[in-house]
Amino acid sequence: MTRQDFLARLRAGLRGLAPAALTEIVSDYEAHFDEAAAAGRDEAGVAQALGDPDRLARELKAQASLTRWETERNPSAAANALFAVLGLGAIDILILLPIVMSVIGTLFGLAIAAAALVAVGAALMIAGPFVVHGAPIAALILAGLGLIFTGACIGALTAVASIACTHATVWYGRLHLRLLKPVLDVQGAAA
Amino acid sequence: MAEAVQVQLKKGVLELCVLALLSRSDAYGYDIASRLADGIEMGEGTIYPLMRRLQGDGLVETYLIESAAGPPRKYYRLTGAGRERFTAQSAEWTQFSSAVNAILGGAQ
Repeated sequence: MTRQDFLARLRAGLRGLAPAALTEIVSDYEAHFDEAAAAGRDEAGVAQALGDPDRLARELKAQASLTRWETERNPSAAANALFAVLGLGAIDILILLPIVMSVIGTLFGLAIAAAALVAVGAALMIAGPFVVHGAPIAALILAGLGLIFTGACIGALTAVASIACTHATVWYGRLHLRLLKPVLDVQGAAA
Repeated sequence: MAEAVQVQLKKGVLELCVLALLSRSDAYGYDIASRLADGIEMGEGTIYPLMRRLQGDGLVETYLIESAAGPPRKYYRLTGAGRERFTAQSAEWTQFSSAVNAILGGAQ
């Protein structure tokens, strides 16, 4: 592999990073090639000694998205971190995929159920007195409120579980990448 | 499996080795990469993600120095937190490795 190939593959793998970070990373590797050339090493040998640029790019990206998840805890950062860690092949995807899919599926189902309960509760509260005849209005409103609270409760629990799952994945990613800070750190940040 | 364990072991000590190098003197990326690659047979490229992480964690900081040939070199130096981390980690390592050595010695 030539220097050009290595840098091109690295750049391609880093697509999606902030431009400043990308430039900085690429210039680190360019400097490495320059220094190696000055030391009289041949280009192909240097590229080989550096390692697989795709793998390096995945590692750098995973690191960036883990950092992002630690500073801005939102669903998009979480998804980013999750996929970056999965993309590393750090976790054997064939073994893990069924588990991940069922966990994500369950969480998604719970979120939908929570939303549905809230919607039905609201409908019952507002439209109930006009549609259902013979039932006391107060009972309908209370039933509606009950459904809304149940829904909200399930929703909140789902959110907590999702955050816990993301933490677990991020923690595993750090462990695997040896990006590990003590687990206590992660827990401290979560608290 | 054995290979995976070795990779993890090396990655684990890599940080300690970098901190150790920098505790003796500041160094630039290529210098660190080539000195460590000789010693522990790692892809030289792994140094750069590690340096970025150490910098992100506030353990090292960088400065530029003009070099005789080509563009200025980016040097890394330990911060106060980096020194503390090095002291703690090297104590842990000494304790851990002497425990392992004692067990290995006992098995022979």
